[in-house]
Amino acid sequence: MLAPGTIGRAPVDRCVAGVSMKGVVFNLLEEVVIRHQDEDVWDELLERAGVAGAYTSLGSYSDEDMHKLLAAAAGLLGRPPREVLRWFGQQAMSVLAERYPSFFARCPSSRPFVLSVNSIIHPEVRKLYTGAHCPNFQFQDTDDGALMMDYRSPRKLCALAQGFVEGAAAHYGERVTFEHLECMHDGDARCLFRITWP
Amino acid sequence: MTSGAGSDEVQATLRRLERRLERERKARLEAEAIAEKGLRQLYVRQRQVDLVKTIATVANESRSVVDTLRFSIVQVCHFMGWSLGHVYLCAGPEDPLGLVPTDIWFGDDADRFPEFCSATERTRLPRGVGLPGRVLESGVPAWLADVTADPNFPRAEAARRCGLHAALAFPVLVGSEVAAVLEFFAVEAMDPDAETLGTMAQIGTQLGRVIERKRAEDRLTHDATHDALTGLANRALFLDRLRHAVASHRRNPSRGFAVLFIDLDRFKLVNDSLGHGAGDRLIVEVSDRLQASLRDQDTLARPGGGPVDTGQMPVSSPRSSPAPSANPADGQTTGNQEFVSRAERPRQAVNFEIGTLARLGGDEFTVLLDDIRDPSDAVRIAERIQQALRRPCMIDDQELYVTASIGVASSATGYAAAEEVLRDADLAMYRAKASGRARTEIYDQSMHRLAVQRLSIESDLRRALQSEEFVLHYQPIVSLATQQVVGFEALVRWQKRSGELVPPKDFIEVAEETGLIVFLGNWVLREACRTLRRWQQEFPREKPLTMSVNISARQFVQPDLVQQVQTAMEESGILANTLRLEITETVTMSDSERTVRVLSELRTLGVRLAIDDFGTGYSSLSYLHRFPLDVLKIDRSFVIDMDRSGESQKIVQTILDLAENLGMDVVAEGAELAAHVDRLNAMGCKFGQGYFFSRPLDGASARSLLGTPSPRAEAETGMATELGLVGDV
Repeated sequence: MLAPGTIGRAPVDRCVAGVSMKGVVFNLLEEVVIRHQDEDVWDELLERAGVAGAYTSLGSYSDEDMHKLLAAAAGLLGRPPREVLRWFGQQAMSVLAERYPSFFARCPSSRPFVLSVNSIIHPEVRKLYTGAHCPNFQFQDTDDGALMMDYRSPRKLCALAQGFVEGAAAHYGERVTFEHLECMHDGDARCLFRITWP
Repeated sequence: MTSGAGSDEVQATLRRLERRLERERKARLEAEAIAEKGLRQLYVRQRQVDLVKTIATVANESRSVVDTLRFSIVQVCHFMGWSLGHVYLCAGPEDPLGLVPTDIWFGDDADRFPEFCSATERTRLPRGVGLPGRVLESGVPAWLADVTADPNFPRAEAARRCGLHAALAFPVLVGSEVAAVLEFFAVEAMDPDAETLGTMAQIGTQLGRVIERKRAEDRLTHDATHDALTGLANRALFLDRLRHAVASHRRNPSRGFAVLFIDLDRFKLVNDSLGHGAGDRLIVEVSDRLQASLRDQDTLARPGGGPVDTGQMPVSSPRSSPAPSANPADGQTTGNQEFVSRAERPRQAVNFEIGTLARLGGDEFTVLLDDIRDPSDAVRIAERIQQALRRPCMIDDQELYVTASIGVASSATGYAAAEEVLRDADLAMYRAKASGRARTEIYDQSMHRLAVQRLSIESDLRRALQSEEFVLHYQPIVSLATQQVVGFEALVRWQKRSGELVPPKDFIEVAEETGLIVFLGNWVLREACRTLRRWQQEFPREKPLTMSVNISARQFVQPDLVQQVQTAMEESGILANTLRLEITETVTMSDSERTVRVLSELRTLGVRLAIDDFGTGYSSLSYLHRFPLDVLKIDRSFVIDMDRSGESQKIVQTILDLAENLGMDVVAEGAELAAHVDRLNAMGCKFGQGYFFSRPLDGASARSLLGTPSPRAEAETGMATELGLVGDV
């Protein structure tokens, strides 16, 4: 079990054979990097990762590209890949809010926003990007008001999920506690998060 | 400077390149946005098309409305990513109840919304109320962003507690009629989407086709198994039910059944005299009364007291309202079966609490009573039916008194086939009819023997016609004043090859029923004319001999009757005014317009017309004015009773006065005693016929009678009975 914020030794998700990632994710990463660093850093990352770097939101690109970019970023920033991924998730949220304001407008706070991922956000993602592989989350309320979130995906991007939830809370100006109770990187069948809004 | 200028130039180029890059970048983002928008639309459209196609395919192949609706709400829930779907059913186009809940549900998580589901099961929605009620009213799909915030959503509180917010509903349309409303709910609040609403409208139309097709099918099935005039079961459906009853009884002998075969008495008379329209109205009225008498459970206790289980296809009673109780508080989910019967059945069949009523055709009705304890139950029902018909029926402002003859056959006889049951009930009905009107008879084995006997008479009759086994006997008609034989009535006898002489009562009825009377009648007519011609030549008189020939009702309706008569006269060469055709009052009553026409045509030929058995009929005297008649024959019953009953004598006197006023001759039948003859003579009756003068004689005897003095003269010398005039045949 991982404590919040602790980073496991496991490498960033290995490429899942035959699975590709939508270009929009690369665009998001690019934007986040440029916003927080600059364009030179993005160029540097592309060079270090040895990837082509021409990504259009509608295209599909190898998962391997993303791993290479994240590994390069980890090296460049001197931080573990999982931390980079989580940071990416946190920072991407404000970019998403600019690109897709309606998802945020229809939710008054981060909790219903998180809950709308299966019913609203992912169906919309599929409409935009045919063949997108969106994970399915399962939610359950606990008696003490926490939200249990269950994540299963061969990509094992639990750090990204955590970053997204934290970024959403930040977008709404809220604080959130994210506990990682089970993790696929530790050999569990799933990742289980306990999210509380104190 | 140069380097500075060069540096400036480089800087400027750099800035230009950066701007160029920025433009390219913007163009890319814009292109991506446009493409994304297009792809999104394409994706949405494709999914909508797929959804409509999937549902249309199932709708086209499915035979079950309920299955199709169930499939559709699952598909729509998946398409929308919504949590709950339900079908509301329209109680009926005019029904104030509007929509009633069904148990057709889909929920992605069965345990999530129990409170909302049970609230729905309790909620019927009048037109305009709630989201489905609004759809019922408008006939178009509708969407509420959040039902918990809607002032016109009766289940809002239950929805709030279950966490349901957005709602979508659309109508299932059959033509412009809303047959059902499908409703869907999402956990989130969501704004309406016009394209989705359009898709739902298409689905509603597809689903409407299933209902429409099912209704058409049911209508066909219904029409094939029901009588168009009364809506009752027809013969095919009745036999089907009866087969079930027979089979059920064989499996479980304690489940007795009985069949009532009901035939209206003298229905043809109504049809012929008042027209077929009136006949049809009478049939409908009788059908209503029969239904009413079968519904009433007061007098027939049933074992267990429950409704009849016919063991057949579920058909709801026509009395039970097609919609559930009007009290919204006692709400109950409408089951599938009931839904089918309501939505898919055009008209209701005829299963009553205590049996199945059918119209076999014409004025024949049948009742199947299943699960009776005892044949006496059937007799009680028959009695109730007779009772129900006792009140006169008002048809076209006329009071008609209808009675029925009822035959009963019950499982007690032991049957293997439905047809046998029906046949025996029919036989019992015939027996009832033969014994008078408004009678009920229960089938027994002797009836079967009688029926077999009749069948054998029928085939014998056919053979006898071919081999000319018929002979005529002649009964003299005598002038009461002169005691002279003035003519004869020709009477047919069946002279079997064996020598046996069969009296008319044993074969005329069968001949009438089978139509053989038409051939027989024609032969009698021609033979009588030939005989008359011979006798007229042998015994020429100032007033030539006459011959009376009976024309049966069946013969009278032959379209070529006049032609037949003319042919018979021409063949024999007799004078028309020496032929007298005798018809009964029954003949005159059927289709009076035609009667007038035919009688007038016969009169034009010169033939004389007589009314037979006058006084025994039931009709008014008015036809005596309307029909061109020459002779009244007073029925023998009045003549025979004259000396015992003052009443009969008055009747005879009245008939004589009536005839005199109308300028008609009178022949008194049944003159058996000298006293009869004297009294008739005294009362002014001119002609008589009866055993006092002579029984019917064979041709030779009749001929020899013509050569002898008047029978009265002999009778007065006390010789008549011994001389062969009366007793010789």
